[in-house]
Amino acid sequence: MIHAIVIGSGVDALVAAHVLARTGKQVLVVEERPPAAQDFGWVPPQVTGALGLQLEVQAPDPWATALLPDGGKLELWRDMRRTIESIRRFSERDAQRWPGFCRRMAALARLFEPVYTEAPSDPLNLRLALRVRRLGREGMVDLMRVLPMSVAELLDDWFELDALKGALGAMGILNVQQGPRSGGTAFRFLHHHVGSPEGVFRPPRSNLSAILRQRPGVLFRVDNVTKIRVEAGRVDGVVLDGGEEIEAALVVSGVDPRRTLLELADPAWLDPELARAIGNIRRHGVAARISFNTSIEGNVVLAPSLDYLEHAYDEVKYGRTSREPYLEAYPSPDGVEVHFQYVPHGAKSDLAAAARRLLPGLENAQADSILGPADLEREQGWPQGQPYHAELALDQALWMRPLPELAQYKTPITGLWLCGPAMHPGGGVAGAAGYNCARAILKETN
Amino acid sequence: MTSHDIVIVGGGHNGLVCAAYLARAGKRVLVLERRERVGGAAMSEEVFPGFRFSVFSYVVSLLRPEIIRELELPRHGLHILPLESTLTPLPGGDYLAQWNDHDQNRRELARHSPRDAEAYDEFGVELHQMARLIKPILGIAPPDPASLRPRELLDLARLARMFRSIDKKKFNTLWRLLTLSSADYLDSWFESEALKATKAASGIIGTMLGPRSPGTAYVLLHHYMGELDGVFRAWGFAKGGNGSVSAAIASAARALGAEIRTSAPVERIWVESGRAKGVVLEGGEEIRAESVVSGADPRRTFLGLVGEKNLPGDFAESIKRFKFRGSSAKVNLALGELPSFTCMPGRGPHLRGAVSISPSVAYLEQAYDDAKYGQISRRPYMDIVIPSMLDPAMAPPGKHVMSIFVQYAPYRVNGGWTDARREALGDAVIDTLAEYAPNIKSAVLHRQVVTPADIERVVGLTEGNIFQGELSLQQMFFLRPAPAWSRYRTPIEGLWQCGSGTHPGGGVMGASGRNAALALLGERL
Repeated sequence: MIHAIVIGSGVDALVAAHVLARTGKQVLVVEERPPAAQDFGWVPPQVTGALGLQLEVQAPDPWATALLPDGGKLELWRDMRRTIESIRRFSERDAQRWPGFCRRMAALARLFEPVYTEAPSDPLNLRLALRVRRLGREGMVDLMRVLPMSVAELLDDWFELDALKGALGAMGILNVQQGPRSGGTAFRFLHHHVGSPEGVFRPPRSNLSAILRQRPGVLFRVDNVTKIRVEAGRVDGVVLDGGEEIEAALVVSGVDPRRTLLELADPAWLDPELARAIGNIRRHGVAARISFNTSIEGNVVLAPSLDYLEHAYDEVKYGRTSREPYLEAYPSPDGVEVHFQYVPHGAKSDLAAAARRLLPGLENAQADSILGPADLEREQGWPQGQPYHAELALDQALWMRPLPELAQYKTPITGLWLCGPAMHPGGGVAGAAGYNCARAILKETN
Repeated sequence: MTSHDIVIVGGGHNGLVCAAYLARAGKRVLVLERRERVGGAAMSEEVFPGFRFSVFSYVVSLLRPEIIRELELPRHGLHILPLESTLTPLPGGDYLAQWNDHDQNRRELARHSPRDAEAYDEFGVELHQMARLIKPILGIAPPDPASLRPRELLDLARLARMFRSIDKKKFNTLWRLLTLSSADYLDSWFESEALKATKAASGIIGTMLGPRSPGTAYVLLHHYMGELDGVFRAWGFAKGGNGSVSAAIASAARALGAEIRTSAPVERIWVESGRAKGVVLEGGEEIRAESVVSGADPRRTFLGLVGEKNLPGDFAESIKRFKFRGSSAKVNLALGELPSFTCMPGRGPHLRGAVSISPSVAYLEQAYDDAKYGQISRRPYMDIVIPSMLDPAMAPPGKHVMSIFVQYAPYRVNGGWTDARREALGDAVIDTLAEYAPNIKSAVLHRQVVTPADIERVVGLTEGNIFQGELSLQQMFFLRPAPAWSRYRTPIEGLWQCGSGTHPGGGVMGASGRNAALALLGERL
């Protein structure tokens, strides 16, 4: 007998499945597509610890090679002194400020580490308030000032070097329909710093999904779920593509909340106001992924200035692909993967040609696949092409992620839980949402 | 050398409110105003013979009702005439009109979208609830969350209790308003572009942000605060212009015993061994006082009048980081005849209300895009009122005055503000307006264009920011104007601040002035 069905093949679904299986439950994962070859984001030690995993983590050094308009480059290393030397070639002032900036950002990011590996707590909770007070005055002021800020304001406070600000600022706008001058992007910058060593502002990549897919203890089945069955307010199984039904009193969905609750389950089980709010979860996809059959060293970033990024954003606001996009190229198991931002949903321009023109080393490479937001939606199940399923912004973060009514991983349908990247802490932290969800389930059922 | 209990630097509305409350408590108060008249940005002037204008700030709605009551402002000549409607003309000859009459308003909204007409009341209720939630916070001296002082800890606990008693759902809605863009917030309510844009416009006023930038939903709420104690959307116009608001407060302050000196520019605040001793006027006159209260904005007060050398380093850094980025301008027109809007030709009740040039959210966002890179918006957002329709004394018989609030006109315009650029801004405004009211070009008798640089030069507001510092989340509450110094005190003993650069911020609200006075008097806020 199956105790639990996990829908989806994302990293969070796999983590949730294995954490549940370790308590002796018979867990079936229904995967609609093969898992990712590479996972983006920090894997919290709680996740690897709970499952006893040995990961291969890719942490390129330099962690970013920022391309400069004159053909030169700015390399940012894991070693603080080397980075300082790199920066000093362009700005003495910024080189001096770099260690202070790294220290202040790391202090803030560390505050989030424990917050990210547990279910989101009430914002007015005393324990959180004490944790914040322990940051001391400087840290508290930083926190309160930085969270609502734009990443441009944050970086302009510290630095003058455009290439440095561009390369850092990109982490504030990654996968969101906002520009670096939009409020709340400094929070996103911090989000992508959580778990990284001081002075490293790119999340690592790992083989977490691939390992979990190989690992025994969980049953797998490749199929599409067409329906989540609900009886008298309780989940009682799923229906597969061919009509086959599998019973289980526990269904954990790694699929986005909108599809889970409004399409797979019957929305009639929801309060109409909640159904409307679920329909309103913001989830714009803004980036394309292009795979090239070549090789590349490190992590190459094209984001030469904050203004460059802002101009790139201006175009997508009115539904156009950026002519001068933010690009980031990194090695993947099949060659080189390029993140191309901004691309509106349903865009049809020649993205590969633009990437070839702008990134050195790709001139003669062949593009194996070009996936715009609409393709990513179809092929990866990312709603509107948004890899985090719900845009990560302050109004959809922490206890508000993706909605306050769903933030504890539980749904109004008994036995139906949500574990995907739309849940706290969200995409960019690999497996944490799945881990938090599984623990919430175990806490309730044990 | 003369001596007073308290000297107030700047006779803007907050300085005057502060003076009135201090005088009421029996203090000997002297207000020093640099210009020849009081009021700061809330002032009326006969700019062209026979035509009177509220040159800068031009509507009233945020002025705290307790101030009106406690200072008995109506007795001192304050008379507010309500604005009755908001008309948004649309390209192509249609319009969206919002009326004070509920049924009329609903019928008009339904013409654009039945769904929006349904949602509108609920939307009003939500904003009303949020404004009520925030209302008690407006009268608080924000405690420093890092403080260990017993009194501040007590206040922190009180604040925490207040927040914890808020219904969870309402708290989450408040959080959304603090963090969302006005466009996203309105998208979750409405579908009609004209309605969303006209509402979104109040979220960009005074900011250097576009309607799609998070943080603007709060500014929208801030502008709803005024609707609380009167009629729904109770924006009004002060009889005689906004100068009469200042005149009424000044009269109340004088009646309570405060002394007000105009044409008395303060050159510096006199600080000795970390204590404010008084002020020194231009020309060298020294005025001693037990306490000095500055109504000037934080940059002007601390980096200008006090001087960096008298300040702790980290405080000076915070003040330097405080963002102003003025983005609004005013165009004041003397008209030979009333404008005739293509969508609603001729005279009508709509001319007694506001006219908003905000046809779509994309229109506002494009206006912002220009400003972001240092350009004047080619087609700006405008909020237009015709005060002479409500108060005929503002213009000669048969003639009219028109007040146009314009955004965006960035303070840091490329190449700096010159006479040519000022006129270019005026032309952009008239050309845009002529698309909706073609007779405007021939109706204009005189034109006054006030840029952010003019606001800075004339009124003294740094970078022309109408709120004495941007109303963004990172510059609000216990961070306004600097961490640890949000309770109207300053690192200089005996020096206080009462301008809208302090909590709760801008608009002709008066809350900062009142809070500062009560804090100085040692009352618990």
